[in-house]
Amino acid sequence: MTFTIVSLLPGTQNTNGDAQNATVLETRAEWAGIAARTVLVERASELPGEIDAIVLGSGSDASLERSRDALRTMHDELRRWGTEGIPILAVGTGWELLSWGVEHRDGSSLEGLGILPGRAVPRDGRVTGDIVVSTPRFGQLVGFENHARAYVGAEASPLGRLRAGEGNGRDSGQEGVIMGSVIGTHLHGPVLAKNPAFADALLRIMAERRGIGYAPGERAVTVDAYAAAARAAQLRAAGLDVESSA
Amino acid sequence: MLVAILRAHEVSIFTNPSTANISQGLTSALLEQADWRGRVPGDVAVLEMDEGHGALVMQGVDARVVALTNVMVDQIDRFHDSEMVAGMLARIAARAGEAVVLNADDAYLERLAARVAPGVAVRRFGVSAEVLAAAPRGLGNTETSEARLDPAEGVVVARVDGASAVLLDGGVERPIGLPARGIHYAVDAAAAYATARAVLGERFSPETASAALSSIPPVFGRGERVRIREQDVDFVLVQNPASYQLNIDAIPAGTEQILFAIGSDVRDPSYFWPVDASSLGRVSIVSGSKAAEAALMLAYDGVAIDRVEPELGRALDDFLAAPAPGNGVKTIVFTADSMRRTRAHLGLTEAE
Repeated sequence: MTFTIVSLLPGTQNTNGDAQNATVLETRAEWAGIAARTVLVERASELPGEIDAIVLGSGSDASLERSRDALRTMHDELRRWGTEGIPILAVGTGWELLSWGVEHRDGSSLEGLGILPGRAVPRDGRVTGDIVVSTPRFGQLVGFENHARAYVGAEASPLGRLRAGEGNGRDSGQEGVIMGSVIGTHLHGPVLAKNPAFADALLRIMAERRGIGYAPGERAVTVDAYAAAARAAQLRAAGLDVESSA
Repeated sequence: MLVAILRAHEVSIFTNPSTANISQGLTSALLEQADWRGRVPGDVAVLEMDEGHGALVMQGVDARVVALTNVMVDQIDRFHDSEMVAGMLARIAARAGEAVVLNADDAYLERLAARVAPGVAVRRFGVSAEVLAAAPRGLGNTETSEARLDPAEGVVVARVDGASAVLLDGGVERPIGLPARGIHYAVDAAAAYATARAVLGERFSPETASAALSSIPPVFGRGERVRIREQDVDFVLVQNPASYQLNIDAIPAGTEQILFAIGSDVRDPSYFWPVDASSLGRVSIVSGSKAAEAALMLAYDGVAIDRVEPELGRALDDFLAAPAPGNGVKTIVFTADSMRRTRAHLGLTEAE
């Protein structure tokens, strides 16, 4: 048994190292003694037959339409896998493309795949900074956000509640969206490395679907200490109590 | 490199200090060198600037020649994305009166070429297919052009071998020496060569230009070898994902002792994650104010880490006090902030 993790559109959707979340899942699986591989997928014909998780990162606005058109060729598979409970982690514009769509300031809009509820809408100015989110399923998430749009329509199923940062905006006090195991978030870059509990939760879902167990490997203890130190630094920067981050 | 070529042609130059923060550097250079009527000495002013300051400074400056090297997202907090960077470069390019010199391997810059004002020439530099094939992970441009530059259309880096390269100019091979190993230095050299030709016109001498490029001393901080506390130490500067990848690839395999430091100049290291640092194998000490983030990144690249010591001074002292490596030279990989702190801690003078 080998975990197959798909990194979707790494060519256009990896501005901030979001695609490396696939590496994090693969590496942690291997540390736990489970064989794993990451498959880079740019077009539908490259999709493996059987998969365990999907990671879709954020890109630039210039590539929104090109990426959306590429994703449309895999629409049926993505919808089916999402329904079957396969974890799909979508970050930034990758998340926006899986939503109902993206509204631009000039009034134009781009239709998304409609796999996640809600849509991206213009916000006043770009937000760039630390973000901290309390989530019921993955504990406290710490990360960095950098986006120029807010998100509406996730109010019934947000990923979590904001402790710092702007998140979905519009005074929602919320960040992200989650439907089953399909997750959209503004937390960019290697969010799964910075938040090992989040990574392990996804790995447990993957393992359960395969009828096996998952427990973090020995190497994870050392590496997660680096993550804890990095999280503590960001929590301090955000003016939050470090002790409550456990 | 451009200043060296122009000076070799006996042109007097006014230039700003080598940092890209031109607003402060230019002001102090102007104050220092201007006479009482505000005139600045020199026949040619060579101003180096990044896209953010450039877009601002160039609002009030008309240039004869504008050279554009590449579009990279190297200060993500400030510029956010490469589209914005390309837009700023377009505004800078619009200030050129005679020529725009651009990197033909950068697809963003090639798109700018179509928008250059009538009467303004477009000159190009680029690498050969052979050089591109030898770059293990490409050239580091946000988007690389599909086709390579036709040697009839500009200055081409034909070959790179360590710290030497061959430029192809008008069908003639021009062998040059580089200030350090690496394809990116050869690309910089081609940019300087093509720009000097655009500035000097008839006065440009390929022989003088090649000789000037070959005599440039090793670049400060980027692949520099220094003598500290009676041992050789290599300094490797990481400024953006592209230089990080290229410089990591250039560190000889089997280098035993590496100190790796990311400082406060990197607000969020996420954009470094696509870089593959696995070739480092083992790092002795990870340091800097972003030490934990750096260790996390290296660990997922499969790099073994002996110690994380956020306090850079202590890390440097312990690293330098350790016995000499059995293989390779002690190597310090750092971002600009950690480089400055390292030089200050070791009492090394700042280069120009």
